[in-house]
Amino acid sequence: MSRLTINNIRIAGLSACVPSTVEDNLTLPIYKDQNEAQKVITSTGIERHHKVEVGTTASDLTVKAVEDLLSNLGWESQDVDCFAYVCTSRDYIAPQTACVLQDRLKLRSDCCVFDLPFGCSGWVYGMSIVGSLMSHGTLKRGILVAAETNTQNRNPRDTTVRPLFGDAATATALVFDPDNSHPMNFMFGVDGSGFDAVWAPYGGMRNPVTPDALEEKEVSPGVYRRGVDMVVNGMDVFGFAIKQPPRSIKELISTFSIDVETVDLLLLHQANKFIDEKIRKSIKMPPEKTPYCLEEYGNVTSASIPLTMVSRCREQLSGDDKHCIACGFGVGLAWASMEFYAGGIKVGDVIDY
Amino acid sequence: MNIQDFIENFAAQFDDTDEALFTAETEFKALDEWSSLTALSIIAMVDDEYDVIIKGSDILNSNTIQDLFEIVENQQQ
Repeated sequence: MSRLTINNIRIAGLSACVPSTVEDNLTLPIYKDQNEAQKVITSTGIERHHKVEVGTTASDLTVKAVEDLLSNLGWESQDVDCFAYVCTSRDYIAPQTACVLQDRLKLRSDCCVFDLPFGCSGWVYGMSIVGSLMSHGTLKRGILVAAETNTQNRNPRDTTVRPLFGDAATATALVFDPDNSHPMNFMFGVDGSGFDAVWAPYGGMRNPVTPDALEEKEVSPGVYRRGVDMVVNGMDVFGFAIKQPPRSIKELISTFSIDVETVDLLLLHQANKFIDEKIRKSIKMPPEKTPYCLEEYGNVTSASIPLTMVSRCREQLSGDDKHCIACGFGVGLAWASMEFYAGGIKVGDVIDY
Repeated sequence: MNIQDFIENFAAQFDDTDEALFTAETEFKALDEWSSLTALSIIAMVDDEYDVIIKGSDILNSNTIQDLFEIVENQQQ
């Protein structure tokens, strides 16, 4: 069992930026009537999502989120020692987007920057990676970005994904703090046999872009996709999501002897309400300790846990230490669970791009 | 596992379909109310009631409720 404990790291700040354009599921042109749309809203809990204009990238949203984070913390960009960019909607095939962002954000030229191409599990994995690097004590201030423009790599005529996914960028500030008595604890999981449960078949090296991969085709009644578009095989993802995340959280609880009664917040990747409620109930967490933001923002993949914290937990996270469990799960298939304490965090408002 | 209970559990995932339409031979994907959302309810029901996670392909490869019942029964063993 892969487990990890990190000491001397705490979250200092959180920020989020979403595009100002909102798409309401009730009036999407992909449904035959509002009754059909309402059924989807009722079962997923997702009422709307924010969507970038064509040409706006996840890194554009990120610049605003990071600038807000720095100003709330009173940090200069030159203070940042480590910068990680969790995103699969990269600006270019090469180089890494984190390099482009180093210049745009005026980070130091000796800053440790890198991309982490994770999906829905990305914030938790990112916390483990950046936290581990910083726990050595020489990188004192770090920023973990989790950002995605899901509306741009999915087909707008794909009814299986359009109502579910949205765009957002979040930034999490981490500091090295030897006085912090709470460790962060992690458990990891992966099942690569499910690589095609959520995937973009064309555009990589295995299946390069061809003229045919750019042709839009009706893959099942009313569902249109190109070879380069993301495919979400809903039934397989659902079967995975109701099995592995509960198991992973239970492993975390038993491995690190967590008293569930003392947990203040269960922060779940915002997949959909049906899935997340099954996970919540499986570990008997009361609803008031399980915040949701999916009704307003949809599934924003790696950004969904920090966006939930910014948009729904601002007051709680600004106050005394809260005992938290987070679980990210999805494309890979990959998942990760995490126990941490969060308090005294400078949490910004969700800002519009 | 018993087929009658399975049919009842299966039928409970539908809101607008007459219960009398559900038998072991029912070709469930041909029902008017069948949708991808019903499929998710069925997967959740099978997990809750039988502690088995069926795959999308299990549903795609089943025509009748009996077919799916047999898949779940095999996976339980």
